[in-house]
Amino acid sequence: MSLLEAKNIKKIYKTRFGGASVEALKNVSFTVEKGEYVAIMGESGSGKTTLLNILAALDKPTEGTVILEDKDLTKVKEKDVAMFRRDNLGFVFQDFNLLDTFSLEDNIYLPLVLAGKKHAEMKQRLDSLAPALGIGEIIKKYPYEVSGGQKQRAAVARALITNPKIILADEPTGALDSKSSDELLALFKKVNQMGQTILMVTHSTKAASNASRVLFIKDGVIFHQIYKGEATDRQMYQKISDTLTLLAQGGDN
Amino acid sequence: MKAGFYPKMAVSGMRKNGRLYVPYIATCILMVSVFYIMHLLGFSNILEGFAGAGTARDMLRLGTVVMAVFGTIFLFYTQSTLIKGRFKEFGLYSVLGMNRRNLGKIIFFETLITWFTAVTGGIAIGIGLSKLAELGFRKMIGIGSSYKFIISWQSILTTVIVYSFIFFLIFLNAARKVRFSRAINLIHSDKTGEKPPKANWFIGITGLLIMLSGYVIALKIEQPLSALIWFFVAVILIIIGTYITLIAGSVLLCRILQKNKKYYYKTNHFVSVSSMAYRMKRNGAGLASICILLTMVLVIMSSTSSLYLNREEVLHNHYPRQINCSANNYGFSEEYEKTASKLEDEIIKKTNEFGTEAKDIISISYCDISGYFENGKLNVDINPLEMTTTIDYDNVAVAYFISLEDYNGLTGKEEVLSNGEVLVAVNGNLPFENSISIGSETFKVAKKISSNEGNLKNIGMNGLVSSLIIVTDDFNGVASRFKDISDYRGEPMLVWEWKFAFDTGLDESQEQEFNNRLRSYIRDELYTGDFYLVRSECRSEQRDDFVKTFGGLFFLGILLSVIFLVSCVLIIYYKQISEGFEDQSRFGIMQKVGMTKEDIRNSINSQMLTVFIIPIILACIHLATVLPIVHKLLMLFGHNNVPLLLISAGICVLVCGIFYAAIYKVTSNAYYKIVA
Repeated sequence: MSLLEAKNIKKIYKTRFGGASVEALKNVSFTVEKGEYVAIMGESGSGKTTLLNILAALDKPTEGTVILEDKDLTKVKEKDVAMFRRDNLGFVFQDFNLLDTFSLEDNIYLPLVLAGKKHAEMKQRLDSLAPALGIGEIIKKYPYEVSGGQKQRAAVARALITNPKIILADEPTGALDSKSSDELLALFKKVNQMGQTILMVTHSTKAASNASRVLFIKDGVIFHQIYKGEATDRQMYQKISDTLTLLAQGGDN
Repeated sequence: MKAGFYPKMAVSGMRKNGRLYVPYIATCILMVSVFYIMHLLGFSNILEGFAGAGTARDMLRLGTVVMAVFGTIFLFYTQSTLIKGRFKEFGLYSVLGMNRRNLGKIIFFETLITWFTAVTGGIAIGIGLSKLAELGFRKMIGIGSSYKFIISWQSILTTVIVYSFIFFLIFLNAARKVRFSRAINLIHSDKTGEKPPKANWFIGITGLLIMLSGYVIALKIEQPLSALIWFFVAVILIIIGTYITLIAGSVLLCRILQKNKKYYYKTNHFVSVSSMAYRMKRNGAGLASICILLTMVLVIMSSTSSLYLNREEVLHNHYPRQINCSANNYGFSEEYEKTASKLEDEIIKKTNEFGTEAKDIISISYCDISGYFENGKLNVDINPLEMTTTIDYDNVAVAYFISLEDYNGLTGKEEVLSNGEVLVAVNGNLPFENSISIGSETFKVAKKISSNEGNLKNIGMNGLVSSLIIVTDDFNGVASRFKDISDYRGEPMLVWEWKFAFDTGLDESQEQEFNNRLRSYIRDELYTGDFYLVRSECRSEQRDDFVKTFGGLFFLGILLSVIFLVSCVLIIYYKQISEGFEDQSRFGIMQKVGMTKEDIRNSINSQMLTVFIIPIILACIHLATVLPIVHKLLMLFGHNNVPLLLISAGICVLVCGIFYAAIYKVTSNAYYKIVA
């Protein structure tokens, strides 16, 4: 039994007056097992962000289903969606999406406050999380007072604090310098080793080489996938590069 | 570059930001029209020929200046939030190759368009409304409507000049802001973090102290005369205190709420408290303005409406009977009394000749002397010029002497006095024990009596200053002992007064006719030169004057209240809209993190409720503390009806509250539509 199962997902965008339609996703099917660390790669416009939005229940597919632990995401009622997302999913965004009106601590508490949790419980959860993420020192600061890497770590803490079934990350290293990127990737790896399922969309080969499996998406379909297996990051990097070259040259599988 | 390019850019920029610019321009138009109306009423001759015109005009002239200052501050504030929202757009233009000069030109044309719309629209609306205002005014004070349309070129010119100047300042400010920023900063300007304000205890407490001292003054004043002097001090202290307290205090409040983990980490409070804390510094001024405007509306409406509604009672206090004759003279002589009773006989004879009868006669004669009350003694030998700095107006008092006979007559009692003892009625805070000294004379007090009994209240000045009524069985003797005291100008201080009032049972026109005859009879035949002033006034003739004065004040009150309320609405609306745009992205993030629409609504409600409830509650507290001093001021008009004042105040609070709740509903919907 997979944790997440996407079946025959199709997404067609129509222009407002019903003219030309764009098929962002043609027919995407894949599964994610519990404890996996999956990266989805593809170029700009390949449909990977559309896919992530559908997985995050931020958008509905034109056809197909997404099942997260027996629950069909596409059938969740509109008014329950936010709550569902809050209880089951954790998000890490490229531009952090931290609120500048909150200190980092309060930003991290936000989903728990929305869920109506007690302060003592929130604090306890954060206390057990903060050292691992290396944000213990800066927790009282405001987003604009800390670096991008620190912001992203706080965002990761916000995603983790609800103990989500899966973390969805959209280009998490996109706005970071290389050192911060490395730190974040190491963090993801650590979190994954602790048992957290992660699904990451990226077009950074380096980021993807951390994952245990990489899916390649092109023109709205899953084009190829590779497993890391026992390979090192470096070997994985090479494998991904080769695949990307192949993809770019337009060869078919 | 093609001509007309910059104006076009300006127009399209404003159109795209319509939701921000429409209320802004509407505000500008309103400000201009209000300024025009105030200037017109204050400086033209529209109000000529109405009894309280002088006071009303002074008030309106002051109002004109206040409107100009208030308008400048308000438009500056509004415009700077507005221009901030457009920095991104300007940043894009400058990336596309516009230099700051070009940007300046766009801003110039935008300001020009706003200025033109505001000034022409404002004056047009002002002209239209001023006719409406004038008609309403005439109706209220009961003079016939005129169909002449008054347009004052002087007012138009002043309005144009003043607002051109204000808009020029606004333009300079906006141009400065754009000039001193770089393209990249412009693009990212909405992302630069702003540090949440620090809570400043010192300023917060200072503000609170200033406000409280205003309260203390308002509550402590005993007498109308001191109220007149201290009222403005209290008002200014309360206004300053409100601003400081709300600016610093609201940040403090948010910090305290944030420290209270149980309160803060609740779904409804979490988002609202933090975003309030974030903007409180700016918000504080807005809230204070709303609060002050509301307070002004409440105070103005409750006082003027209760004055207007109570006009009959005031009229009756001033003129207890249909026909009211009076005379006075300096010093005292037994001849005065004799002449007075001769006058009375003649007047009654004249009444009978007219074919009617004098009924319910009030006949009093008394002497009064004023002084400064200290330690159970009324000092009469003081020079007011020497003690202006130390004077406490609550201690300025008048002593009235009346005879026991008159007292028993006025109250229907049968008191007896002996051994030179006196009865004393006190009005005000004048403490004394078993005896009381007036000048060099000391009287043993047999009993304290009430100053409100029967017709005793017709003595004196209706409680404008503190007073003592001293009832003696040796009136002539006592009066003679004071008649030689003279003041620093050498005039006698003792004043003898005579009041003779009666009903005739005549209707209004007959009453006035009779009074006119009586007046000329007194002037031509009765007046012997014994008294320096003899008058006869009839109540129905005075009624007109009362209606005009109080109606005029009420009307002014309504006009000012409407203006204040509309400004208040615009401040609130503008605040909500601009904050809505600011919060849009925040609520977007929160929705991604798992905030439901329901949560958004609740959190908006919680935020709005706090933001809205602070000013109105504070305004009610202000009103409650200011009411006593307002009551004292109303006493200057002869208004002493406390229940009516309280009822009017209550109704005003209720109406204002309902109106306010409606604004709250509308603006919170507008806000919700923007963020969700």
